[in-house]
Amino acid sequence: MMNAAIQTSLAQLQILKAKALAVLRKGENYELKTELNSEYKERRKEAVRRVIANMTVGKDVSGLFTDVLKNMHTDDLESKKLIYLYLINYAKTKPDLVILAINTFVKDAEDGNPLIRALAIRTMGCLHVQEVLDYLCDPLRRCLADANPYVRKTAVMCVAKVYDLNRAVAEENGFVDAVRAALADSNMMVVANAVSALAEINAMGRGDVWRLDAATAGKLLTAVNECVEWGQIAILEALIDYVPGDEKEAESICERVLPRLQHANGGVVLTTVRLLLKYEAHVRRADLLAQFEKKMVPPLITLLASEPEIQYVALRNINLILQRRPRLLGKEIRAFFCKYNDPIYVKFEKIDVLVRICSERNAEPLLNELKEYAKEVDVDFVRCAVAAIGRLAIRHEAAADKAVAVLVELLQMKVDYAVQAVVAVLGEVLRRYPRRFEGVVATLCEHADYIREPEARAVYAWALGEYSEHIDGALGLLSAAAESLLEEDARVQLALLSAVVKFFLKQPQRGQQLVVRALQCATEKCANPDVRDRAYIYWRLLSADPTAARTVALSEKPPVCPESTNLPDALLAELAAELGCVSSVLQKPARHFVYAHSEKPG
Amino acid sequence: MDSLFILNASGAALLEKHWCDDRAIRRASLVVVPAFARYLASVEAAADAEPMWSGPQGTVCIHIQRQELIYLGIVSREVPPLEVLELLEGVVQALGEYVGRLSELTIKENFVTVYQLLSEMVDSGAMVTTDTAVLRGLVPVPNLVNRVLENVSGIGIGPERRPNVNTSATPWRAQGIRHSTNEFYVDIAERIDAIIAASGAVVAYDVNGEISCKSRLTGMPELVLTLNRPEIMDDVVFHPCVRRRAWDAERTIGFVPPDGPFKLASFHVAMETSPRSLPLHVRAQASRSGGTHTVEIAVDPGQCHGRPIEKLGVRVPLPLQAYNIGVQCKTGAHKVTNARPPQVEWTVKSVRPGDRGLRLSIQYHMHGEAAAAGGAPPAEQQGVAAAFVDFEIAGYSAASIKVDALRLLRESYKPFKGVRYVTKAGSFQVRF
Repeated sequence: MMNAAIQTSLAQLQILKAKALAVLRKGENYELKTELNSEYKERRKEAVRRVIANMTVGKDVSGLFTDVLKNMHTDDLESKKLIYLYLINYAKTKPDLVILAINTFVKDAEDGNPLIRALAIRTMGCLHVQEVLDYLCDPLRRCLADANPYVRKTAVMCVAKVYDLNRAVAEENGFVDAVRAALADSNMMVVANAVSALAEINAMGRGDVWRLDAATAGKLLTAVNECVEWGQIAILEALIDYVPGDEKEAESICERVLPRLQHANGGVVLTTVRLLLKYEAHVRRADLLAQFEKKMVPPLITLLASEPEIQYVALRNINLILQRRPRLLGKEIRAFFCKYNDPIYVKFEKIDVLVRICSERNAEPLLNELKEYAKEVDVDFVRCAVAAIGRLAIRHEAAADKAVAVLVELLQMKVDYAVQAVVAVLGEVLRRYPRRFEGVVATLCEHADYIREPEARAVYAWALGEYSEHIDGALGLLSAAAESLLEEDARVQLALLSAVVKFFLKQPQRGQQLVVRALQCATEKCANPDVRDRAYIYWRLLSADPTAARTVALSEKPPVCPESTNLPDALLAELAAELGCVSSVLQKPARHFVYAHSEKPG
Repeated sequence: MDSLFILNASGAALLEKHWCDDRAIRRASLVVVPAFARYLASVEAAADAEPMWSGPQGTVCIHIQRQELIYLGIVSREVPPLEVLELLEGVVQALGEYVGRLSELTIKENFVTVYQLLSEMVDSGAMVTTDTAVLRGLVPVPNLVNRVLENVSGIGIGPERRPNVNTSATPWRAQGIRHSTNEFYVDIAERIDAIIAASGAVVAYDVNGEISCKSRLTGMPELVLTLNRPEIMDDVVFHPCVRRRAWDAERTIGFVPPDGPFKLASFHVAMETSPRSLPLHVRAQASRSGGTHTVEIAVDPGQCHGRPIEKLGVRVPLPLQAYNIGVQCKTGAHKVTNARPPQVEWTVKSVRPGDRGLRLSIQYHMHGEAAAAGGAPPAEQQGVAAAFVDFEIAGYSAASIKVDALRLLRESYKPFKGVRYVTKAGSFQVRF
């Protein structure tokens, strides 16, 4: 009853609120309407500004369409730009009204000022309305042949929009051919935009509208050195999709784009690296390949002195490159050392790269560096660093001694979260090198009180059983651990059961009491069915056939293999082809994140 | 790129610009940006948010944070993210030049300018230009005088300033430039990035340099700049005006300079990590006796050709729980800021080459440590982790790079030439 009443009054309140808001909004729009029709130029200008301001924060000002349109014919460039913005925003909802603006557009496209000509043609393209298309063709044709390159480069981009709207119109009017011809334009900006536009058009269609041929490739190579950075990226992208006719051509293209590696814009640098890696398939001369490789390194390192966001993208890509070419950056480890104030995402990537470039030669300084990180305050960072030390130990046999020494040193510092990480990692290392680091186990046991997390405790329990003969008072430690069996995590319980059984099999006299107690406790009181099952199995095995139990529990286990942290080959190849692109940074192929390939920006 | 948003620190949109169809616009403003704001809120420190985040419905959010604002680019297809990041960086630079300090308020006040700039920088999703010299020709810089005049007189002065689109063979330099006095200045500024171990040993040491120039020359001069050891510069990036061929063949920098200030080149020099080569040596030590923690920092000038080290600053962030902070230093001034975490800042105006024994000593206690004093393990590692050093040395090049000669060709006058060197600390940190 009460509830219903409250609901009704709430609903009423909602309606009231909506009404009040509507009145308020109407009020403002009404005021703007008067202002837009003011006889004073300045007030009209200010009103236009306010309309756009409202539009940009998402308020609906579409009701003012005709009033705004009245102000379109102005010589004030700023107002004109704003009104054009307004038109772009609302053209799709009111295409019939846009026709009213067409005359001004067509006139502006013939204005004496190149900026206004370009603005008009750009806006008409952006309107993305079929109705405008008929009126757009003539001005566009003129602008494509305009004397001013600024107008030409804008017109070229407009063709892509027309193509998107209506392919037939774009082709019948020869616009696409005009863009192809613009590849030979005397102005490099126009050339670069033509490349972008054609790439866009290709992406919209079946990709067969334009194919780079040898002659044009040559022209683009000249243009790439002279146009602005964004044009360079567009041209390099086009060259990446190009298949060179023969080895000579591939070599010459590579040599001519090499200077692009030395560019302040990281986008240019990475796209060039991608081109070189892609063309490698066509170049056979080893000396050239070595030279390209050598030239790639310094710019990649320089990227690491940029803003952290750029560093991140660079590091993710370096990571990929290293999976194909582990030796590329072997001499540059210092560039990947973490700074204290690096964002955490940069630090993680740097550590990952450090592990990848580790070799026998640089293992020592690297381990010292990782040790520094493991002493820091940030818990996640410390875990990452400790895990990295473990990975190094597992991968590089020669560095294992030093790595274990570092791990033991960290253990002895008794810092809680570091201890958990170190013990967990030590488990892996001990399994990788059976019988090599028996001495470590004693140290492990000395710090038993600090081992808290299940993963670490499971390692501890495992070590007690596996190395019991090397531990003084192993029985006492095992008994103590078995005492609190029920309080442990299932992982630890399983490890403890195995340890107790191993100990019993090694020293039946001393371990008998312990094993009975532990198995009894596990079978009778333990809630976890897996643990109970395991205990039953051990129990039956031990009572039925102790020799068989020996072969099962004490069998020699194969050592852990150095895990491969590389991505699967097929994925790697796919990502490497898109080096420097979104997919290579997210490390998943484009089809997994791109919403709809066919959807193109207008 | 589909859309560009400027957000405030809490992820609310201040301004948006789209280059995509209706559906994608709605998706961006109604789905992606709110989701991105939630992501920002979910990370502990905003600065730790990954610059690339895989958003809902197959979008990817690429963002940078500068001052209090977030610049977010949304893409939905395969593009080079560095292109987007560099563009966002360019947007920040350009907006900064136009409206000054960027904040929620200035963006809102100048949205007209911001909009015009964005439309020139990106056309239908493709980057066009971020060069402020080019942009200035296309969008007039708003200035106070302009505004006031317009508002008072009702006459706009906008259209009078004809935009110019330079289409010559040297797009960076217009024809017919005249100056009454001809001058050319070269500034070589180097930035030392270094990581120093507590012992004073150098862990990493890099020099990143920039050659910036200021040109006031008449006509179409051609300049040739020769450096003493160009071979040690390992990643040189030039202004487009520099002739690459001359550099590749004989390692000289030949160019027709733009008028006014411009950045001629930037370079990187990998330094050998011997402690002698650093212009100053820093050692740091942290110790503890009883409840008192002590941090000692020692600075000694190294070899920098007898130049004084100026504006020396050492910043030590202390642990969050530090209290009762005491600081001693014989030279310079110090300051304790009670931010979270508290920081000690030590500044010395000038350090002469002969000066020895510059010492800073900090003592503090820690909250919550008295209880743990009984030998129980500390719950987490506490203490100072790093100190940040800042300094400036005028007239000194850390990489020992010098201008050997600067020749002027193609014009007959004799310009005044000036060369300056300065070395500064970039990211210079000492570990404990």
